[in-house]
Amino acid sequence: MNLCVACGMPMRAKADFPLGDETKDYCIHCSRPDGSMQSYEEKASSMAAFIVRTQGIDEGAALGAAKSMMARLPAWKARP
Amino acid sequence: MKLRERQKRETRQAIIDAALRVFARDGILASTTAAIAREAGLSQGSLFAHFGTQEALITAVIEDFGKGLGLRLHELTDSGANTRDVLRAQLGAIAEREDFYARLVVESTLLPGRARDSLLLIQSAICFHLSPAVEADTLSGKIRPMPLHLLFNTWVGLLHHYLANRDLFAPGGSVIERRGPELLVHFLSLIAKGG
Repeated sequence: MNLCVACGMPMRAKADFPLGDETKDYCIHCSRPDGSMQSYEEKASSMAAFIVRTQGIDEGAALGAAKSMMARLPAWKARP
Repeated sequence: MKLRERQKRETRQAIIDAALRVFARDGILASTTAAIAREAGLSQGSLFAHFGTQEALITAVIEDFGKGLGLRLHELTDSGANTRDVLRAQLGAIAEREDFYARLVVESTLLPGRARDSLLLIQSAICFHLSPAVEADTLSGKIRPMPLHLLFNTWVGLLHHYLANRDLFAPGGSVIERRGPELLVHFLSLIAKGG
């Protein structure tokens, strides 16, 4: 099973891929409406917003946790 | 993959698996690298060649556990799952390694930052499935409208209380197996419309 390089989500169904394009290594949640991959800042911000909405933790703490999670993923590992 | 590279990867995974068993048995922060090396059948020197510090090993174990739990949750939850289905899948996935997960719950605030973030990642994986299920159940009138984070934290607070005190709620056994169905029924009745 493929894992999204940008968020780690398992990608099984065609609907998991951006615009249904199964050649992509990132998932639909990490893509923009045109199918391109979100930038680091866009992804960190959307991931933090999700954590705040679902777990209710402080915004700054959520952003820190989101960046910590992203640092382990292939798409962002190489960032200084 | 070259043989040496494969062996290195297999040894790394064997250390992670051994550490998880020792953490579950002795506690995450109370475990020693000597006990983990013994469990893995390696010298402490070999262990440190793969993980430079105990903190790096703890983080790797929690990440590996979180990844496995996330994948299991994905397998157990289909796209049309409702709130009950997702929470039941969560209980099922945790029950498979309840001993370790309970340690994680009890020690989470004492863990180093990156390891602690991994627990947030585990909760995020659950919320990823829970969020659309709750939205659909709210729209169809099965659940009372309420902020998702309060719904989730109420559930996690209940579940984690039982896990943290599993020796009292289910001595010598699985608290999820023994109390999980009751907790699920109770929580669903709390959030049900008219409940």
